[in-house]
Amino acid sequence: MVSYIGKRILAVIPIVLFAIFVTFVLIRISPVDPAEAYLTAAHIHPTEELLAQKRHEFGLDQPLYVQYFQTVIKICRLDFGKSYLTNESVIDEIAARIPATLQLAVSSIVLAVLISIPLGFLSAVYKNSLIDKFSRLLSFFGASIPQFWLGYLLIFFFSVKLDLLPVEGRGSWEHLVLPSVTLSLALIAIYTRLLRASVLEQLQESYVLYARTRGLRERSIMLKHVLKIAIAPVITGLGMNMGKLMTGTIIVEQVFSWPGFGRYFVEAIFNRDIPVIQSYVIFAACLFILCNLIVDILQLYMDPRISVKG
Amino acid sequence: MSNGGKRAFLLMVGIILLVSTALIGCTKQEHATTVEQGASPAEKGVTISWPRDIGQMNPHTYNPSQLFAQSMIYEPLVSYKEGGKLEPLLAESWSISKDGKEYTFTLRKNVKFSDGTPFTAAIVKKNFDAVMSNPKLHSWLGVINVLDKTEVVDEHTFKMILKKPYYPTLQDLSLVRPVRFLGEAGFPDDGDTSKGVKKPVGTGPWLLADYKKDEYAVFTRNPNYWGESPKIDKVTVKIIPDAETRVMAFEKGELDLIYGEGVISMDSFNQLRESGKYGSELSEPVGTRSLLLNTTNEKLADLRVRMALQQGFNKQAMVEGITLGLEEKADNILSKNFPYTNVESKPVEYNVDKAIASLEEAGWKLPAGKTVREKDGLPLELELIYDKTDPIQKAMAETLQAEWGAIGVKLNITGLELTAQIKRRKAGEFDIDFWYNYGAPYDPHSFINVVAEKGWGVSEAHSRLPMKQELDEKVREALASTDEAKRQQLYASILTTLQEQSAIVPVSYIKKTVVYQKNVKAFRFPANRDEHPFDGIEFGE
Repeated sequence: MVSYIGKRILAVIPIVLFAIFVTFVLIRISPVDPAEAYLTAAHIHPTEELLAQKRHEFGLDQPLYVQYFQTVIKICRLDFGKSYLTNESVIDEIAARIPATLQLAVSSIVLAVLISIPLGFLSAVYKNSLIDKFSRLLSFFGASIPQFWLGYLLIFFFSVKLDLLPVEGRGSWEHLVLPSVTLSLALIAIYTRLLRASVLEQLQESYVLYARTRGLRERSIMLKHVLKIAIAPVITGLGMNMGKLMTGTIIVEQVFSWPGFGRYFVEAIFNRDIPVIQSYVIFAACLFILCNLIVDILQLYMDPRISVKG
Repeated sequence: MSNGGKRAFLLMVGIILLVSTALIGCTKQEHATTVEQGASPAEKGVTISWPRDIGQMNPHTYNPSQLFAQSMIYEPLVSYKEGGKLEPLLAESWSISKDGKEYTFTLRKNVKFSDGTPFTAAIVKKNFDAVMSNPKLHSWLGVINVLDKTEVVDEHTFKMILKKPYYPTLQDLSLVRPVRFLGEAGFPDDGDTSKGVKKPVGTGPWLLADYKKDEYAVFTRNPNYWGESPKIDKVTVKIIPDAETRVMAFEKGELDLIYGEGVISMDSFNQLRESGKYGSELSEPVGTRSLLLNTTNEKLADLRVRMALQQGFNKQAMVEGITLGLEEKADNILSKNFPYTNVESKPVEYNVDKAIASLEEAGWKLPAGKTVREKDGLPLELELIYDKTDPIQKAMAETLQAEWGAIGVKLNITGLELTAQIKRRKAGEFDIDFWYNYGAPYDPHSFINVVAEKGWGVSEAHSRLPMKQELDEKVREALASTDEAKRQQLYASILTTLQEQSAIVPVSYIKKTVVYQKNVKAFRFPANRDEHPFDGIEFGE
């Protein structure tokens, strides 16, 4: 088991290097000159002299391979450079924004768990009932409605029309409600259907029949046996979604003026702030890798046969 | 689920709950501060939104400091007013030597910085020195390039000596950056403000009282302000990057004011205006949306073709249809509310018959059965490049494509990223491009500068005009001229020539918009495009 985990951790290195390489290439093949983008954003009329100076300052006048190796070396030293725009350390700026994003991601997962587990379970147990139909409808909306649109709808009804919640910003739990609901709806759609299918599958298993013949109470069979087993894929999904949520809050942060690092990334893209874009992508890649790793280890812990197979 | 699985599940749920409770707990405290800072009518505060964080509030640098906020804290020597009038601000008066090289400013007495320290010639020089220690950073600005040295004559007299006469010196000094004044306490120990300031200390009517990056900034009245204090107590700026959210926050009453250029969509502006629930206004033109025609292209080198293109589209209908009347049809390259631009010139009217006749006369004939005109076997095909993120440019490009298609001109339209568009303009790799002047207080001198100076793409695009050399000489003469009447005459000649040559086709005048709640009174647009709009604003019942 230890060697399996060791191998998995070692495999992270080439993946991160690949992510750095892809990011580097993608940014450099874009026709936009970061020096020019910087000056345009600053309302400075870009003279050739100024452009040359900025390019030199940003190290963009170096040959591409030099720029690439410098990037890799710096990242290995955990030096993510300074933002072109603010001249402040990117790692500090990202760190300052992570709590806001983490708060949004965590509250969305909590909300999704609290809603989808009972809903998924009940809609399987009471198949084709009203609650099942409701969960199907909710999942349909959750899976198909674009998040920015849902965000606008929620703001319009709950903030503008009903005046129950603030439109934007971060500060209190009230500010957290609408963005969390927006983000969690898609998760609810997935988990509800996942759990429903999983419970239905378990209900076909012979141990359920056996338990019933033993005269166990239905409630006990459902909660202690069926749900316990059926919930496994949802745990896997949760782990996988944490990374997705941390990086997928971009649109929601933009709509709700949530000061997280998704919004920071959007601004960086508009300003061609290369150190920020690069750091964000690498950070996102690492986050996904880490979440994958945790889920794999968790699964391994739950089913040690994986290490033999894998 | 095995026991292990159960434990893992419980552990995960537990961690999630703990972290979220802790995070929500943290934010409750922040909430208390935010609510305290929220402006209410009783406090006579105005809450506005801005798409980006206000930045570091450094008077001598650019990004990420936001111009409107810088102008609330820092003041210039000379202020730019309606119609380009220059009025005293921190300088009570000034004199210019006959050769146009020496500017002597008598500074206003009894001016204090927000920390109570006096505003003197010494601190003015210190600020100039800080700016001039990084001349390359500011080389885009004319006055920096001609500034030779500065002197403290006495406590309230400051002198600037230029290497050569440059008439827009005072206009350049009225800009929001980089020549505004930071108090002694704001300077870093080494005096180099390009790396940052200790704190934003200015002489302006406002001071930054509270600030949370990416969330809000609160400005309150500067108790040491030398002039008439603002009528409102504070200005709260909420950072809202999304335009639709901004509109909804306004409708809910969380914002008193939405102000700026393109900060909300034209649809939203009209919807708010037509609801009748709010006040709304449009500013005087702040710039002209034009088409830049590249005369180095053989087809566009012919005046008759350029004129046909200008006559060949219905400007009025296009502007009304696309900008919903929020921009005004432009007949002149520069609107008449700038200095020296009130020049009588004949607008080029929409006339399809004349356009077709011009093209025929230029030799571009429509072969039977074809839709595109040809000359010597070559089709009359042109490319228009536009900023693909700008919905107005895109819609205008498509309209032009249809309108010019009807007179036998094939227009290919290419959407580009803004910086790619600028790059192609500078390289001369375009036939037609959208182009804008800079607005007040940069114009008209910045405009004529790019008409003559190479490096911006405009002068290069005009290089095939028959009177190009003469035009450039007139520009240089105007910029160095110390004679007001002569300057007016030169401007008139330059603008008339450009108008007649149709190498820059004015399309529409861009305006700033504002929508405000009914309790906001006496709103005035600043004459300087980059200044804040809070002078004189009142809060009524």
